Amino acid sequence: MGTTFSILSGGMVTGAVYALLAMGLVLIYKATRVPNFAYGGLACFLAFFHYNLVTGKAVTLNLDVLYLHLHWHHVFHLGFWSAFPITLVVAAAMGLLIERLVIRPFAKAPMVTMVIVTLALNLFLTGLAGQLFGTKDLVVSNKSAIFSRSPAVSLGGVNFSYERLGVVAVVLLVSAAVWAFFRFTATGLAIRAAATDRDVASLLGVSTRQLAVVSWVSGSVVAAVAGIALASVVISSNPTLLLLLSVKGFAAAIVGGMLSFPIAVLAGFGIGIGEEAVRQLLVVHDAKLFAGAPEVLTLGAVIAVLALRPSWIFKGIREDEDSGITGQAGSQEFVLARMIDPVEAYRLFRAAVPTNSAPMRRVARVLAVGVPAVLALFALTFPALPLPSFWALPANLTLIYLLVALSFVVLVGWLGQVSVAQGAFVAVGGAGVAVCANTFHLPFPLPLIGAVLVSIPVSILVGLPALRVRGLHLVVATLAFGLAAERAIIPHFSQGGVRVALPSYLRSDVTLYYFFLALTAAVFVFAMRIQRTRVGRSFFAIRDSETVAAAYGIRPVRVKLTGFVISGAIAALAGAMLTYQLGSLVESYASVGFSIQWLGNAVVGGITSIAGPLIAALLFGLYPELTKSAVSASNISHVPEMVSAVLVIVIMAVNPGGLASMSRFVRARATAHDAEVDGAPEPPVVAPVFEREEVLV
Amino acid sequence: MPSPILTISDVRLRFGGVAALDGVEASIPEGQIVGIIGPNGAGKTTLFDCISGFRRPDSGSIVLKGGGGDVELTKRASFERTALGVGRTFQNARLFRSMPIRDILRTVQHDRMKRSGFLRSVLGVGGSVVDEREAAQRADEVLELVGLSGHADKPAMELSTGMLRLCELAAVVAVRPRLLLLDEPSSGIAQKETEALAPLLRRLTSYLGATMLLIEHDMPLIMGISDTIIAMAAGRVITSGPPEEVRAHPDVLTSYLGAKASA
Repeated sequence: MGTTFSILSGGMVTGAVYALLAMGLVLIYKATRVPNFAYGGLACFLAFFHYNLVTGKAVTLNLDVLYLHLHWHHVFHLGFWSAFPITLVVAAAMGLLIERLVIRPFAKAPMVTMVIVTLALNLFLTGLAGQLFGTKDLVVSNKSAIFSRSPAVSLGGVNFSYERLGVVAVVLLVSAAVWAFFRFTATGLAIRAAATDRDVASLLGVSTRQLAVVSWVSGSVVAAVAGIALASVVISSNPTLLLLLSVKGFAAAIVGGMLSFPIAVLAGFGIGIGEEAVRQLLVVHDAKLFAGAPEVLTLGAVIAVLALRPSWIFKGIREDEDSGITGQAGSQEFVLARMIDPVEAYRLFRAAVPTNSAPMRRVARVLAVGVPAVLALFALTFPALPLPSFWALPANLTLIYLLVALSFVVLVGWLGQVSVAQGAFVAVGGAGVAVCANTFHLPFPLPLIGAVLVSIPVSILVGLPALRVRGLHLVVATLAFGLAAERAIIPHFSQGGVRVALPSYLRSDVTLYYFFLALTAAVFVFAMRIQRTRVGRSFFAIRDSETVAAAYGIRPVRVKLTGFVISGAIAALAGAMLTYQLGSLVESYASVGFSIQWLGNAVVGGITSIAGPLIAALLFGLYPELTKSAVSASNISHVPEMVSAVLVIVIMAVNPGGLASMSRFVRARATAHDAEVDGAPEPPVVAPVFEREEVLV
Repeated sequence: MPSPILTISDVRLRFGGVAALDGVEASIPEGQIVGIIGPNGAGKTTLFDCISGFRRPDSGSIVLKGGGGDVELTKRASFERTALGVGRTFQNARLFRSMPIRDILRTVQHDRMKRSGFLRSVLGVGGSVVDEREAAQRADEVLELVGLSGHADKPAMELSTGMLRLCELAAVVAVRPRLLLLDEPSSGIAQKETEALAPLLRRLTSYLGATMLLIEHDMPLIMGISDTIIAMAAGRVITSGPPEEVRAHPDVLTSYLGAKASA
């Protein structure tokens, strides 16, 4: 009996917060059809903001203009409830800003674009939180907790604190408010109408733009409440933890089909209580062996629900596939996109140099051969360059990052399946190496092969949901998988767990670098061969349209699983190399956060191009790694990931092909521009890398 | 009368309360061009979907005569159709939008490249080199046939609707089917181009030596090109026969003009 109550006491309250997160997600999705993967980041940022106001945050303003000297220094140190309204106002303002700057330019974008954009926004928000509030864990003391932590009632020997009961009460209150909002207000009715059919709703005079603003603002306020409650309940938290917990909110929302509030709320409580039960029944017995068991449970629930396809989940989604892409009339041009429009620059350049001339063609030919040659030379002579003494680690990490980015290119860019589980495959590769080397005592090159082989069944397992669902649901399934791997695999193989050692002939910096370079080059050539032959073409066919692919004899199931296996194997090899490089598996290279970051970097580099991973690895791998060591470890800068996140959003708005396809994009835009000037009809030019396409049943 | 390559018997399919196909009976003679006409909602495209495997009928059978014996098509998945020799185009000319035309025409030959398994392809050994070369050659050949050679490097999304139609025809021809299903090849293209379509379709069928099943709303085109016409209305075949007979059939007039014959 005592166990039951203690499960209830713990599970009810985390479940309540999951329910709240799920509710906010459903609110935004219902009105705008945007799957808000930035929700966890938003909740996290607002929680940090709030508790920094409560525990004291120094704000200094210095203004020196000519004779005007303004110095203002103040330490904010507010009570919980006086900080609360400020946080809510900031949340509303952030919702407004996000809707205006990030979401509205993508009003007509396909689902996959929205997934990538909101993932990038999430990266930005967690980076911003780290930058503004430091990377130290947020500890909510008894004094600044949301409600008193003293026991309120005692049932079966288990104390229920005011905090826990209070949070559940708040959630029930917000649920009731949301229910009443949808039941009794005109705006609520309009959102329900828009959820059923956006086009009909807008024809009947519902302003979908206004609905978007309302839902983003109220959704952000809900995120603030959820974030604050969550941080208080778990006592000690950091951005990663809050992000991971918010994934469970997503799981609950998915169970509710992204549209149903009651089911989402119930699922939130269910996941919370189920996890607590697993934690108390299993983890207590052997914390090390069963680490991550609650997350595995969530993963199982998500996959089971997606596999069973209860009718309510796909009712809303299928309809969305038909009508979502039309969005609303009137094109909204992205101001930032206009500012960096490369067409203007290109036209200036072309005015100076005639592009179609023989010398220009010769230049193009020389570049086509020269750039790869220079890069190869650079890689081969790298150790001989004048470099700081620690050059080996950045160089090897760059090669590993290149492989991670390449695995994203294969899966997302070529096969069109958005997954954020590549970090989990890095973990699988690392675990494979450790098991092969330490448990089975295999001699050196064999653990590398073993790690790749181990990844194959795992890839098939992760790929299975992709056979039935894509886009939003697939991302959630892979998020859950990444989360489960992060919690269940990494602790067994990270520092203190196991160590793997390189054979003596590879221990020097130079030999290890050349060994890794050879491996990376081999994989790179392998990927290039895939791209240029039948295998790659079948990937692109599936990406563009599963229906048409099937009409031409391409088997979606086989091709998708092949793609998952290849991309998983590449990431696993990266994980194996990483484990040899660092001696053991390190969480920060295998987490969901790492996956999201490198998905973003791969998008910036060019997600559909073989050159993309190269650009991404040089830009976001080699450069920061080489300069990082100058900065002390305690003062980690989050600027690179924030820059990358902003770039992802801009690139998705301007040219989804990424940096690698800039030249083709510029040519297309310039031709279109000229045609427009000549009065000729404008052909469609901007390459929609991601096309909305229904799942083949 | 040549023997039928395709025999459709009593095919029924309901969407909720609507009977989209209500006991369709037809047989398609081998080597002919067979046109299907009928007002909107007659079930023409749904019938195509059943033949090409995108929908499974509730009941009935669709039998394809093959070299190695007859095949019951309703029991096969859509991606098995190319191997069986059935190719189709879509009403809205759907192709792989991001690919250049030449790559599309190589992609659609996926099933024909028997010597290009995964490893052989990636390593570039064995028959895969020959396969790739032959696929590229056939792509060029088919492009020539439909007159798109000059646009081989353009991605599909930059093409006009008319060119997209041609490209889709080229794609389905590159697969070399024995039975060709074309869903409204003239829709969305200009009248002048429609006139050029009939000779092209004839050229393609004779190039393939295939049977062609054609849905079309452009009456001069379909009446001029077809050997046999099948008229459908409300999920049933109302009559079939040579074009001039079907054109004069009272039930066809009724379903097109909407008037009751008795009225």
